[in-house]
Amino acid sequence: MLRHLSRETRFLAKDRGAVFWLLLAFVLSVVAVSFGIAEVREQRETIATLIEEDAADRSNALEGQEDWGSAAYYAFHLTYAPPSDFAFAAMGQRDSSSWKHRVRMLALEGQIHEADTRNADFGLVGRFDFAFLAASVAPLLLILLLYDLRASERTMRRHDLLVATAGSSRSLWLPRALVRVTALALLLLMPLWVGSTIEGTAASLTLQASGIVIGSLLIWWLIVELVSRIDASPSILLTSLIGLWLAIAILVPAVSKAVIEAANPVPDGGEILLLQRETVNDAWDLPKEATMDPFVERHPEYADHSEIGEEGFEWKWYYAFQQVGDQVVEPLATQYREARLARDKQAGVAAWASPTSLVERAFEKLAGTDARSMIAYEDRVRDYHRELRAFYYPLMFPEEPFDEELLSGLPAFTPTS
Amino acid sequence: MSTVLRIAREEWRLWLRSKVVVAAALIVAVLLAATSVLTVNRVAEEQSQRIEQQIAAEQTFFAQPDRHPHRMVHYGHYAFRPPPPLAVFEPGVDAVTGQSIFLEGHRQNTAMFADTKAAADLGGFASLTPAILYQLLLPLLLIVLGHAMFLRERESGTLAVMLAQGQSGTKLALGKAAALLAVIAIFMIPLIGVAAYSVSLGESALAATSLVAGYFLYLCIWGGIVLAASILLKQRAVSLGALIFVWLFAALIVPRFAINASSAVIDAPGKIESDLVMLAEQRKLGDGHNAADPAFMQLQAQVLEEYGVETIEELPINWRGVVASYSEAELTELLNSYADKRMELEASQSHLFGLFGFASPTIAISSASRTLSGTDLATHHRFLRESEDLRFGFVQALNEKHATDLDYTADINRNNGEEASRAARINANAWQVLDEFRFEPDSAVQRMDRAMPSLGILIAWLIAASGVVYLASRKVRL
Repeated sequence: MLRHLSRETRFLAKDRGAVFWLLLAFVLSVVAVSFGIAEVREQRETIATLIEEDAADRSNALEGQEDWGSAAYYAFHLTYAPPSDFAFAAMGQRDSSSWKHRVRMLALEGQIHEADTRNADFGLVGRFDFAFLAASVAPLLLILLLYDLRASERTMRRHDLLVATAGSSRSLWLPRALVRVTALALLLLMPLWVGSTIEGTAASLTLQASGIVIGSLLIWWLIVELVSRIDASPSILLTSLIGLWLAIAILVPAVSKAVIEAANPVPDGGEILLLQRETVNDAWDLPKEATMDPFVERHPEYADHSEIGEEGFEWKWYYAFQQVGDQVVEPLATQYREARLARDKQAGVAAWASPTSLVERAFEKLAGTDARSMIAYEDRVRDYHRELRAFYYPLMFPEEPFDEELLSGLPAFTPTS
Repeated sequence: MSTVLRIAREEWRLWLRSKVVVAAALIVAVLLAATSVLTVNRVAEEQSQRIEQQIAAEQTFFAQPDRHPHRMVHYGHYAFRPPPPLAVFEPGVDAVTGQSIFLEGHRQNTAMFADTKAAADLGGFASLTPAILYQLLLPLLLIVLGHAMFLRERESGTLAVMLAQGQSGTKLALGKAAALLAVIAIFMIPLIGVAAYSVSLGESALAATSLVAGYFLYLCIWGGIVLAASILLKQRAVSLGALIFVWLFAALIVPRFAINASSAVIDAPGKIESDLVMLAEQRKLGDGHNAADPAFMQLQAQVLEEYGVETIEELPINWRGVVASYSEAELTELLNSYADKRMELEASQSHLFGLFGFASPTIAISSASRTLSGTDLATHHRFLRESEDLRFGFVQALNEKHATDLDYTADINRNNGEEASRAARINANAWQVLDEFRFEPDSAVQRMDRAMPSLGILIAWLIAASGVVYLASRKVRL
């Protein structure tokens, strides 16, 4: 076997077409990995600057405040999801869901859906990251490397002679294809390994990612192998293989996506917002109890402090109706979250029909850039907002005297990583 | 001429006999038809939905009871962007940006709830629109059909016979080109249908025709590239492989590479980042809710002098309304300067992206297609600007009512009990100040202007491709 392999390696080195495709794979992988690392670094820098500026802005805002209500009104808090050490390979949903917010103690539903805008053209086309290369482009390169192994020998009229002299066809085609698949896999993965070392990615993660790439190449190899057994001209084989690639990489995902989204409608985002705004705005005109009763239901511990005087404006009441605004849209917001999760879950099942989707999703999962991770970040923001309320409420409702010192104990946001 | 036609007819006869070609063409045709029908239905539904929502938002605003005018400033309003008629072909950036925006005092919100955020994630390019099919799939079909057009004559030995009969390579190439052109013309039919439908929805015929012309140019470029490869290369498989490579590069790699590159070259800070810089500046402007803020002392002196009175209580207008209006104007100027800066940076990123059209006709056609359809970034920016004008308009009109229709003393005492609060309200007729908002696509001429660079790049591509075909066909030897 070894003899066959070294022979085929020599042949491969002389096949200019094959060498070109392999070099292309290598160059593209280098490009994808370096752009990925550059982007991840930029995101980290952005986060570092934001943390600094956010702290400065907050201390500026808190300076000279005279009551808990204004302090909570003017102080914003940065929340963010830093890119993981493998995010360079798959930016995934970080491009369509926002990974940074600045929230304050007002109704959260009015804040959490804010999108920190990126150039819309970018979201439309998508990035050239390693996951895209491995999932969509690599199979195409593999097809170009393998489709005419047999057919080109047939065109050269050497096929039958070769098969006859080789003894078993296994010692002929298998090493030839194996050398090419291995070379492609290595050239694709080497830049990824270098990137992982630079980024300090855990070895087990890199290993899993490499396994995914190799697994997908093996599947595509099998497909090419089955198709190229057909006794047809190389160009017909290539045409059929490209057709298959189109079906698997583009059509199946697009159809599954359309079906899943039709089957799991998400509530109209505008409605969540509208309902929340209406509730908060209506509260100004309603009797104070209409706000305080549902509030106390959620926070019975403040039942004794929920009397709002007829005269003057009280922050307690203001924050209570902010909270009630959130409470009212809770079912809709939960529905929105659940629908996203359900879509993602079904997409995970549907991905089994397309190795391309499967690879992309697997990479996003490893990189923590899948829909689930982005929702987990939003959950983290909700938790943090809850901590903020838990900090202010016990001071605000029993009307503890304002003490600027205590503000240093404000909860700090820590990202999950 | 008749030789050219005869060659073209012969080509067609061979295609119709090839199962692969017929199957591929049928699949593409079915896909085009299915996607067009689905997209037309989806977009039509969205359009009527958004317009209804816009009207409903206005009705609710008008229907609000008597209130303190500043309450209505915070109550806010919504602006919706219905998809333009040609979005049935090219939905463009709409799915990414979100199509509605909440307008309120003191803030510029972003468009929220983009479709892509809640989309089922199946990787790379998981949504099919007619435009995407034309940009990606039809070139592939042309490649499958045409990669061996010329080669075939060489392989079967008929090339020698024809040349010996005195036919020139150019004439032969012309015949092949005519055959491909006929294919392109047939596959333009669904697009022409969709374009005609959009005209019936009120799209200008100029924009629709230009869109059709743009795609025709694009497909002709691919036809040229395919023909050139089939003349220049000597083996079927090599020709097909090379063309697939060109397609892979032009359709998949360069566009994404261009995105990476233009975001790396031009750094457009996110909204949070530029907001933070702005907030520091904004704090200097003072808080419009607090009329006693020192930042307003100068304004106060000026207004008192203007009306020739000593104290703000003596003013014939409501001082708090004056302050609200003044600080909203100041703040809006600041917000707009930052928003403009952000939009300019984004526009220059997209401009840089467009220049990559010289490396890939797919980029050029997709930019032209979005621009002509009115679903490009520039249209989104105009939507943001117009909704900002709407926001500023109603907020300032309410602030004016605040200054003129509401008594200052009543206003100050608004929190002192039920009755005082009722006294600090103005009649709901005042809510009629809200302007009706119907977002319209740019005029066809404006869109044409904007699409010109991309269309120019396409024409350059076509000239280059036909030039190569011409030169290659002149040199055809055995």
